[in-house]
Amino acid sequence: MIAELLFGTAFGLLLLGIHRKVIARIQRRPGPPVWQEILHMLKFSFKTTWVPATASAVLFVGVVLVAIGIWTAALFVVLSGESLLIIFGIYMLHKIVEHGFGLSSGSPYGKFGGVRSVISAASEIPLFVSIAGIALFTHSLMISDIVAYQEVHGPLLLTVPLAGLAMYLVVLSKMPFGPFSIVESKELVSGYKTEHFGVWRAGLEVCNGLKTYVLLTTFLLVFVGNMPFLLLLAGMLVLTVSLSFACALCPMLSPYDSVTVQTIVAGLMLAYVSVLVVVS
Amino acid sequence: MNEIGGVPLFFLEFGDIVTYFSPFTLTLFLLALVFTVFVVVSRPERQIDIAFGADAFFAKEISLPELRFRRFMAIACGLACMGAMVTGDVFDFTLFVSLVGICNVGIVAAVRTYHVRDAAYQYGLVALAGTVPLFSAAAMVAATTGTLSMLELASPAAPPVPLIARALLVLGVMGEGMAPFYAAKAEMFRAPGAPYVIMCSLSSLLIFLRVTEVVLLL
Repeated sequence: MIAELLFGTAFGLLLLGIHRKVIARIQRRPGPPVWQEILHMLKFSFKTTWVPATASAVLFVGVVLVAIGIWTAALFVVLSGESLLIIFGIYMLHKIVEHGFGLSSGSPYGKFGGVRSVISAASEIPLFVSIAGIALFTHSLMISDIVAYQEVHGPLLLTVPLAGLAMYLVVLSKMPFGPFSIVESKELVSGYKTEHFGVWRAGLEVCNGLKTYVLLTTFLLVFVGNMPFLLLLAGMLVLTVSLSFACALCPMLSPYDSVTVQTIVAGLMLAYVSVLVVVS
Repeated sequence: MNEIGGVPLFFLEFGDIVTYFSPFTLTLFLLALVFTVFVVVSRPERQIDIAFGADAFFAKEISLPELRFRRFMAIACGLACMGAMVTGDVFDFTLFVSLVGICNVGIVAAVRTYHVRDAAYQYGLVALAGTVPLFSAAAMVAATTGTLSMLELASPAAPPVPLIARALLVLGVMGEGMAPFYAAKAEMFRAPGAPYVIMCSLSSLLIFLRVTEVVLLL
């Protein structure tokens, strides 16, 4: 488990580095090296660290541990083929982590990053709809059952493509520099993570790496099915590059537009699942 | 679909009321517990704000009586949340959810800022209205099936729960703090006192996640 955890973190950070590189090349900039996010994590681990005088100290430090804890649990859930609903829950609870990061420091930049995170809760509804669409066909929410279903019936991406698209949008909403990345936009400095530096930021980088790895793995297992490990990694790379294209070509939306677009998508997905329910 | 949240790990019986821990409910329970511990042991942050009309800023302080009241309400909210996460009884679930709504209002009602109080008042009205469909759903489940036990209702032999009862349950939970009424809390979320305010958003998300499982189970 420790080996998977370390590999997941490192590979997730590498994917985030590739994400930054691809965005930069599309925008005709040289961009950072692909291992930049790993270097960031290592660099922050050895930087001077303290807690701001205005912060709620326990919460300021505690949310970092919670962030790493929930995504470690998520990795364990994916590897053991447990319920998809737990991944859904952890994904939603990441909002609380962002809110905690932002509010605990007392900084107005962090505060508004945290508030933006909570008001964009509509981005989770497509995930719920996606799960409902899957459950209609597989009659189970266990990842192991969903994988087994696809071995018999073929990839769910072909059976319920719009549910796959909904999940893709959910992953996109969590990618940095994307159209929905309002929680860390530059008018808020770094948004909810502005005041977390040193070891706390290193912890956040670990969380981001794990989160990326878990979400991409979940997407591939749930919509494409089981595959050899190297092919899984290649699939994650292809997904990351496609997400990078979306992030590079779409401007960051204003908070109002971001919530509106996510709400419209959620409404369309609800209609789609309603049609699926009626048809089935 | 009886193992939506994973295979139950163990059952805790209180007479005919059964509390159960599945990987899903246990995860949610532990998160509620962790954040309740944060509320107990942490002090609030001092929020920095801009002084309009001057090149200055100031730190908002929370007075001791306000801190004590809000901490009490946040702990009560955490306990109600933990109850809602693991209960195996529909009526208990609705009771815990309504308690979460009351505590959420209490957490922010003590803040001496007009906008925050106004938001708390409006949210209180929505939460109050939300209790009607919430308890109606529990009553309908009891009337149509003769039981309120989720485990009995989840068994294939149990009489089907009417769709309207499930819809009312979701509507009631939405009233107690889920989207879209959740957005009414935006002013509440920026109130000072991070450990307590976070309990508002955490409880909303947790009850949303749990009601998803409950509706799929019934």
